[in-house]
Amino acid sequence: MKALILTGGKSSRMGQDKASLKIGGVTQLDRIVSLIEPLTDQIFLSVAHDDETQRSLPTLPDLEPSPGPLGGLQAAFSADPKSSWLVIACDLPMIQKEDLEDLVKQSDPSKDATCFLNPLDDHPEPLCAHYAPSAAGKLAKVLEKNQRCARRFMASLDRIDLVPSDPRALLNLNRPEHLVELQHLQEHGAIEKEVKVEYFARLSQEAGMDSDVVHTSVATIAGLWEELRLKHHFSLDLPHVKPAIDNEFAEWTDLLSSGQTIAFMPPFAGG
Amino acid sequence: MFSIQETPLDVMALRHEMADPTCGALVVFEGLVRNHHEGRDVEKLHYTHHPILAQKEGKRIVAETMKKFPTVKALAIHRIGTLEIGECAVVTLTASAHREAAFEANRHLIDSIKARVPIWKQETYATGEVEWTSPCPNCGPVPHSCP
Repeated sequence: MKALILTGGKSSRMGQDKASLKIGGVTQLDRIVSLIEPLTDQIFLSVAHDDETQRSLPTLPDLEPSPGPLGGLQAAFSADPKSSWLVIACDLPMIQKEDLEDLVKQSDPSKDATCFLNPLDDHPEPLCAHYAPSAAGKLAKVLEKNQRCARRFMASLDRIDLVPSDPRALLNLNRPEHLVELQHLQEHGAIEKEVKVEYFARLSQEAGMDSDVVHTSVATIAGLWEELRLKHHFSLDLPHVKPAIDNEFAEWTDLLSSGQTIAFMPPFAGG
Repeated sequence: MFSIQETPLDVMALRHEMADPTCGALVVFEGLVRNHHEGRDVEKLHYTHHPILAQKEGKRIVAETMKKFPTVKALAIHRIGTLEIGECAVVTLTASAHREAAFEANRHLIDSIKARVPIWKQETYATGEVEWTSPCPNCGPVPHSCP
């Protein structure tokens, strides 16, 4: 087995390269490398077509400019079609060593891939998965038809689907609010709290309740939202929701403390 | 003044409340329940709100409007609950010595209320379907989207 780390490009939402974001003084890339090292010593970095930057690990450039999320896997199978490939995006700060071990241990040579079902929507996740050599031919076929959706490709494979150790394991480090949450947890540890949560309009319908008492160890309002979004499968993403603390509008990075009442509100539609 | 009420809005009574001999202009905007939304026939609307925050934010907006337009007196009331077609859901009144400031202030007031006050509406369509209305297409559910 060989491993491929998807370093991605400059993230528009984060405003910077996600691989180099630090939590607890460790970059996302270094963390992922340390999780993979016990599993294989053949680790490659997926980089852009024209990227010639010197790196600490060998690189596999995309075969063409902007090939989409499947470009990394395409380059990997082109470099070695006989190996299985553990493919991991570098922006999964919650993924654990046990999760990656599972992808290796639970794999079955008669299947195309071993992957996790995303707790948010129960879809198989393509960018944290173990691909068998049999996936190479199927990948070539979909790319020939210019079908570049990684999730759709994964859904089409013969797979072993796993459940991650923690529902948050597959959360992407997509937004600055998530980074603040994780940095707080790193610095201060996970502290148990009890808060009252109120849901309004569409969110109350989706949660099946108007309010709830929630026990949590997240640090910020954004952390609480992500936790509850997974629990209730909310259809709205963070930028489309407004939070309030104790009946006053709040910021996503505001810290949570016991006894607070937190409201989550969908886009307003008065008038 | 800003308030939220479940009972029908009496716009004539509010006009009397705004009466002021120094004001030569009174602008009244009424937001009414219409019978169609994005090509679908609407039967009725149901408004809900965050009771404390909607009240607070509405009051702040009215105060802000009067600060921004110092010659203007402003008043706004939003209704909640179930409203039939043609009923008034929100009314904003602005009075001033001259019409220009009253018009401008009214526009500011209603636009701010729509954007900032935590009120939501659920539409019941002629087909019997019931849906939460989203003010912007990007705010709808966000499923995985690939070409």
